[in-house]
Amino acid sequence: MAAESKKVLYGLYNDEEDLKSAVKTARHDHLDMMDVLTPFPVHGLDPIMGLAESRLHILGFIYGAIGASFGFGFMSWALASDWPILFGGKPYWPVPSFIPITFEMTVLFAAWGMTITFYTICGMWPGVKAKILDNRITDDKFCIAFDVTDTDDKSVDGIKAFFKKTGAAEVNLKTI
Amino acid sequence: MNLNTQFVFDGKLKRNLMIGMALGVACLVWSAIGDDEYHTRFWTNYLHNSVFFTGIAFTAMFFMCAQITAFAGWMVAVKRIWEAMSQFMLVGLVLILALVAGVWGHLHHLYHWNVPGITDPESPLYDEIIAGKSGFLSPMFYTIGTVGFLAIWYFWAYKLRQNSLQQDEHETAAFDHYKRERKWAATFLPLGGFLSTVFFWELMMSIDPHWYSTMFAWYTTISVLLAGLSLMIMLILYLQSKGYLEYVTRDHLHDLGKYLFGISVFWTYLWFDQFMLIWYANVGEETIYFKERMNNYPVLFWGNLLLNFVTPFLVLMRNDTKRKVGTMFFACLIVFFGHWWDFFYMIKPGARIAAHESKEISEGKHNKHSEAAPVPSTPEAAQPAATEEAAAAETTPVEEPAAAATEGHAEEAAAATVGGQTGHEDTAQGDHGDHTDHGGSAEHNHDDALTGFKLGFTIPGIQELGVLVGFLSLFLFFFFRQLERAPLVPRKDPFLEESLHHSTGAYIESEGDGGHGH
Repeated sequence: MAAESKKVLYGLYNDEEDLKSAVKTARHDHLDMMDVLTPFPVHGLDPIMGLAESRLHILGFIYGAIGASFGFGFMSWALASDWPILFGGKPYWPVPSFIPITFEMTVLFAAWGMTITFYTICGMWPGVKAKILDNRITDDKFCIAFDVTDTDDKSVDGIKAFFKKTGAAEVNLKTI
Repeated sequence: MNLNTQFVFDGKLKRNLMIGMALGVACLVWSAIGDDEYHTRFWTNYLHNSVFFTGIAFTAMFFMCAQITAFAGWMVAVKRIWEAMSQFMLVGLVLILALVAGVWGHLHHLYHWNVPGITDPESPLYDEIIAGKSGFLSPMFYTIGTVGFLAIWYFWAYKLRQNSLQQDEHETAAFDHYKRERKWAATFLPLGGFLSTVFFWELMMSIDPHWYSTMFAWYTTISVLLAGLSLMIMLILYLQSKGYLEYVTRDHLHDLGKYLFGISVFWTYLWFDQFMLIWYANVGEETIYFKERMNNYPVLFWGNLLLNFVTPFLVLMRNDTKRKVGTMFFACLIVFFGHWWDFFYMIKPGARIAAHESKEISEGKHNKHSEAAPVPSTPEAAQPAATEEAAAAETTPVEEPAAAATEGHAEEAAAATVGGQTGHEDTAQGDHGDHTDHGGSAEHNHDDALTGFKLGFTIPGIQELGVLVGFLSLFLFFFFRQLERAPLVPRKDPFLEESLHHSTGAYIESEGDGGHGH
């Protein structure tokens, strides 16, 4: 993520229903929200915000498929082709024996792959300092944040008016 | 939204279901014509569908009780469907009573353990293994374990249903009916969970009396639970197409679809566990079960996995497919048929062997078990020209694995397991010895009577499909009769409001729930 700091104007709401109607108003007024932050998942918020559906699960499928083929292929190569070993009188290529490990490799690759991808997208590398707007967002406040680093004063006033109109409990400016 | 809707079982639907039942009876009779002398095809069709649909009623009850006990609120909108399905256990009681009567009166030869004299040491038919299990595999315990346990379950289902109907009219402010419902539901869980094992062991696993698998009861119960779940989803979609259940949303469908997906994977886990443990341990009397089915019933064996694992896994993996009516109906149709297929696979090959053994007995070919020598009497093994693998494979399926070891081919014998799909040529020879299942009979018939293709056993024939339609019509007829007796919503259930506002939180872009589709 960009290292330079941002000026963020954010409003805090006391109730998720207030938040949802505020987000609808912001979209209607064509205000460009930076993010909406809530202490818990608010059902139905994603479509109101107009977010695109996550594509992470598609990557998850691909990672899983890679894991399955890697696990199965490696075992087949190692135990049946490169150095054939007879285990317990089973055939050299004992497919049922490979299934549990293939399953585990699928899960491992899918889980690690999706975790690493998600952290990369979110810029959450080890050592990154968390940018916290307000501690109460993880407690009982619902927040709409606007990036106002390059916004002129007239537009900032417009955003403040929007917060007032939609019933925000407080409005703050913070540089993160 | 009208919460007092009542289902109307109209004349047209009644007539169609009557036609379906008539078709079923006709096909059942048809399958008895041109059958073998024991009417194995008729009786297996009867057993197969009776157990299948009774099992669906049982699992509907079990699943509903699990939901109630877990304080699940989402399912209240569809609870009446489970209730109506569970009442079919009453019909199942009558259906299975005919099988019990058949065991007492020796009307059918589905169960080899029921052959007279098989537990008598003086009899030429004496089978030591079955004699050792005779406490369990006896007509008396069969009666208790099937109709006895079913009667207990039905009593619970009846009480739960009555309580639910009374709740509509007489629920108190202290939720007395709801509390009573929780008690009936919670007590049913151990009853259903433990007794169902014996129920399926007696009815289905005892067709192969020498074989046993501790996974079998779980496997069967989960199989029939999936059939019930898919049938229930199809019924919801049908009722919605008729204008009922408008308050059942895509979110309810999504959650039912998740169950269908997740439990299908769990079914596969159980299938694989049962298979791999037996395959790996390679104990003769266990391995023969899968060897028989893989070699002689490949369509059943692999079709089972294709229908019940591959299809639901790939179709239902994405979250949006679980929310689409057409896709869900298609997936449910496959899964429902797939588990009917699974029951077919569990019953038909074993019953075919049992009938073959009965025929051998009547022709005087069946030798006393204790005299059965592991001496290979087959042409292949008798000739020195036969390969080592063939000889080893020939002796592997007999009761004493040591017999193979004494031949000095222990390694080859062990390799000649159900791992036949690996391309080793040994299993092709091995299937000739399959009917040594019953204890190494010295008479090794190399005819196709037991291993060859036989419609109605190797794959389902038209009669089997007709019987399925008939039993399904019977089930639906009874189901709709039950459904019309009460409002479609238990309107005094304390969780009703939660259910009506149920949301999975799933966000599907194409659905555009927010109304901002730009």
